[in-house]
Amino acid sequence: MAVAAKKKNLRKDTVNEIIRAEDNWEPVGHTPMPEIPDLRNWDMRLMKTYKPFYAPMCDLCCFCTYGKCDLTGDKRGACGIDISTQQARVVLLACCMGMSAHGGHARHVLHYLIEKHGRDYKINLGDQIFVEAPHIRTVLGLKPETLGDLEKAMDYVESQLIHAISSLHTGQEGSALDYESKALHISMLDHVAMEVGDIAQIVGFGYPTSVADTPLVDMGWGSIDKTKPTILLVGHNPVTAVPIVDYINEHGLQDKVEVGGICCTALEVTRYTDRAKIVGPLSRQLYFIRTGFADVIVTDEQCIRTDIAIEAAKVGTALIATTDKACYGLEDYSKRETDEIVKDMLDGKQTLIFDPDKAAEAAVRVALELAPKRKKELVTPEQVPDLAKDHRLCNMCSQVCPNLLPVGDAIEAAKNGNLQPLTEVFNKCIGCGKCEQECPRHVPIFKMMQAVAGSETWKVRAGRGPIMDVEIRKVGAPIVLGTIPGIIAIVGCSNFPEEISEVADIAEEFAKRKYIVVLTGCSAMAAGMKKDKEGKTIYEKYPPNFDAGGVLNIGSCVANSHITGAAMKVANIFATLPLRGNYEVIADYILNRVGACGLAWGAYSQKAASIATGCNRLGIPVVLGPHSAKYRRLYMSRKEEDDWTVMDGREKKLVDTQEPSPEHLITVVESKERAMVTMAKLCIRKNDTAQGRQIKLTHYIGLHKQHLGTLPDDLHLYVRKASDIPIFFKKEVMAYLEKVGWKEKPVLTLPTLIGTYPSEVPIESVVH
Amino acid sequence: MTMTLPYHRVNVLTGTKAARIIEDASEYAHLVKRAQRPLLVLGSWSLTTTLGGKLLIEYGVEIAKTLDIPICATAHTKKKLLELGVEPASSYDIIEILNHLKDPAWKGVKKEGNHDLVMFLGFRTDLGEQGLSTLKHYAPHLKTMTLCKFYYPHASYSLSNFRKDEQWKEFLDNLITNLKSKEA
Ligand code: SF4
Ligand code: SF4
Repeated sequence: MAVAAKKKNLRKDTVNEIIRAEDNWEPVGHTPMPEIPDLRNWDMRLMKTYKPFYAPMCDLCCFCTYGKCDLTGDKRGACGIDISTQQARVVLLACCMGMSAHGGHARHVLHYLIEKHGRDYKINLGDQIFVEAPHIRTVLGLKPETLGDLEKAMDYVESQLIHAISSLHTGQEGSALDYESKALHISMLDHVAMEVGDIAQIVGFGYPTSVADTPLVDMGWGSIDKTKPTILLVGHNPVTAVPIVDYINEHGLQDKVEVGGICCTALEVTRYTDRAKIVGPLSRQLYFIRTGFADVIVTDEQCIRTDIAIEAAKVGTALIATTDKACYGLEDYSKRETDEIVKDMLDGKQTLIFDPDKAAEAAVRVALELAPKRKKELVTPEQVPDLAKDHRLCNMCSQVCPNLLPVGDAIEAAKNGNLQPLTEVFNKCIGCGKCEQECPRHVPIFKMMQAVAGSETWKVRAGRGPIMDVEIRKVGAPIVLGTIPGIIAIVGCSNFPEEISEVADIAEEFAKRKYIVVLTGCSAMAAGMKKDKEGKTIYEKYPPNFDAGGVLNIGSCVANSHITGAAMKVANIFATLPLRGNYEVIADYILNRVGACGLAWGAYSQKAASIATGCNRLGIPVVLGPHSAKYRRLYMSRKEEDDWTVMDGREKKLVDTQEPSPEHLITVVESKERAMVTMAKLCIRKNDTAQGRQIKLTHYIGLHKQHLGTLPDDLHLYVRKASDIPIFFKKEVMAYLEKVGWKEKPVLTLPTLIGTYPSEVPIESVVH
Repeated sequence: MTMTLPYHRVNVLTGTKAARIIEDASEYAHLVKRAQRPLLVLGSWSLTTTLGGKLLIEYGVEIAKTLDIPICATAHTKKKLLELGVEPASSYDIIEILNHLKDPAWKGVKKEGNHDLVMFLGFRTDLGEQGLSTLKHYAPHLKTMTLCKFYYPHASYSLSNFRKDEQWKEFLDNLITNLKSKEA
């Protein structure tokens, strides 16, 4: 046997063993545990239509000692790289970081839970979830049964990461498209890693599962009773947060100690106990730390301010760091006796404690001792003019504001007793503190915002984890036929361009229009930070079911895997397509038939880059807010110029549909209004029935008219037959179509890209 | 040589090719008049920025009217333009129009050929600067020109950072006057 063939067989045997290929729950597809080259043709096919669009943040490359190299225009670096390849390289690096952050989190949780429960601990997501891990099933081909199986998924994910990162080295990849393909691969695996992390947490910590109406929990710093000892959790990983709650419960301290969280650990801990509070999203982190309300801060990982130890010390808050990702140069107290830790912390020592139980006990005991000795006062409106007395309107603060806010003018007004402009700044502030740091006259700008922040509280539904199989069974047909106009996934961080309330506005607009609205992370919090006239938030007004008009908090960042997982489950449960090692077929199904669209309105992190890129490989388009142009790369089509030919899977013939659906895989828009119009359009799919298309066009036209004043000028591209025209707009649409010389478009029974590019997948695989 | 920093520091240039700063409205007007197929792209800040009691978008309309320059209305600016009695030639969003502009073979918003001068007015400066980066690197066939009161390093031609809005208003008024004048 030739060496290559032998090698291939050896790998096949290894894969078969890992995924227990002999278990015949589904036939094994063409790409179980794919390596970088295995889905490359799928990526290239996607990028034929959705070409990478680059907006370089930096014209130079500073990666190796040949450089700095100027790559402007058609120049190449000393190693030979050009500007596009360098952008793609940075994108891959970002995706590797993002995936590693989720993967590191998943590994840590898994390690902790395996120590606690053992490798054979069963995965059980309740009586409503049987397709427990659509990503692991689809990508690996494994049906995970135990925590040990989740380890196998992580082993595979990590093995791929080393190859991807090695390609970033100087003198490796020389093609932007190939770097993109690797970014798509790594980002696909990001969703596997997120799924591992969240499944482990659900089964290991006993989070709610197989239930839609999870409890409504309190949000806002006003919900923290500052007369009580307060522990603030910052980050994403619940490994220490859970033992803190356990310690409090075991010692009967539920009414004596407050536990609040910022960012995703808040979402995690409120899944564990509805007595915990969500202080707010990432953008409120520094603000809340500086109030000094927290007696103890416990950090874990990701999106924590890197100067948190300095900030905590400034306000006399004790600090415990708990993970190897973020140690802040602190002394390791993990092996010390808890009494000694508590004593040193009360003497002002900040500590690093890797033992979750010890960290939990120390946090609670220190909070109890420290709280009575601390003062917790907010700046009042009356104090503001005096605090601003040295201000001279130099506008240094405005110039460094990453959200381009007119901070100096707001301080000028505040100095004169008018706090309205400062309130407006606060509502758009992303919480970086740069304004105050830059002020040459040491005006405590950030602190002054305490006077305008208010202490309003809101209700947020606790994260619910995976969508239930029975829900998918109910909505599968309406989604694929188009009669539920789409799944709108509002995810990601709080680097919002305008008021934080825009997220609630967007979510509600789509909920009212009977889309299914799913949210995660800081966006899930932001959506709850607006009340109607009756004082109700969106979570109190709309049902929590995965159904038309539902508004669902899925959970933290790692719960994003359940959103993409829901799209996979539609293919599997509704369309009965096998998931197992069958990535191309599932992604192709979603791209052509599942009307889903993501929105990351305030994405800032590398995790957001890999989450979005993972959605893209799976055929889910994503809309980003204006800051995200700094991610450097989008995947865009040009609707009139590009070729929209697909295969008709049943007829086995190529059909030029002339229909740009979905138009882009990832794009940036400037305003909330444009975002809504774009999202409605990006839910259109070639598979829509006439009735479904009518409904989708009703919303696209309605939103376009509302915000842009006219019928869409690409409307003719989305009307295939007269029966697609929404009854409500019939007359004007007919008149428009006549004016532009519209003609009927070819009919299609089963749209697919399979068969339009080189692939081992036979066209029969898409027919279910 | 001292380096000009953009007003918003997030837009600081990390590169070697920076915009030519022009403060003389007649020089700007000259460049616009010399262009064969100019295009004016309007962004969402043109709806929220007021200058001399008028919305910024109204200056955009006046500029466009002088030489019948086609408008691409990005974000949700189209609605306001229609209220002002102006039908924009296109309503691509910002990234979409950039994606077309970087193709030299594109037919342009009037189907007469790609544009050779693209003017930008009323964008968030960070999004604007990123967009101009795309055109700087990938569209050597056209020049870009910014009309906002901020220095944009990635443009071909940019204004400097105007400290006072009065200076900016004066510039735009002069630009309009110069564009209207018959002299080249
Ligand atoms: S930096 Fe300080 S002095 Fe300058 S405008 Fe801002 S608050 Fe006023
Ligand atoms: S803290 Fe807020 S207002 Fe200050 S610079 Fe940062 S984003 Fe701007």
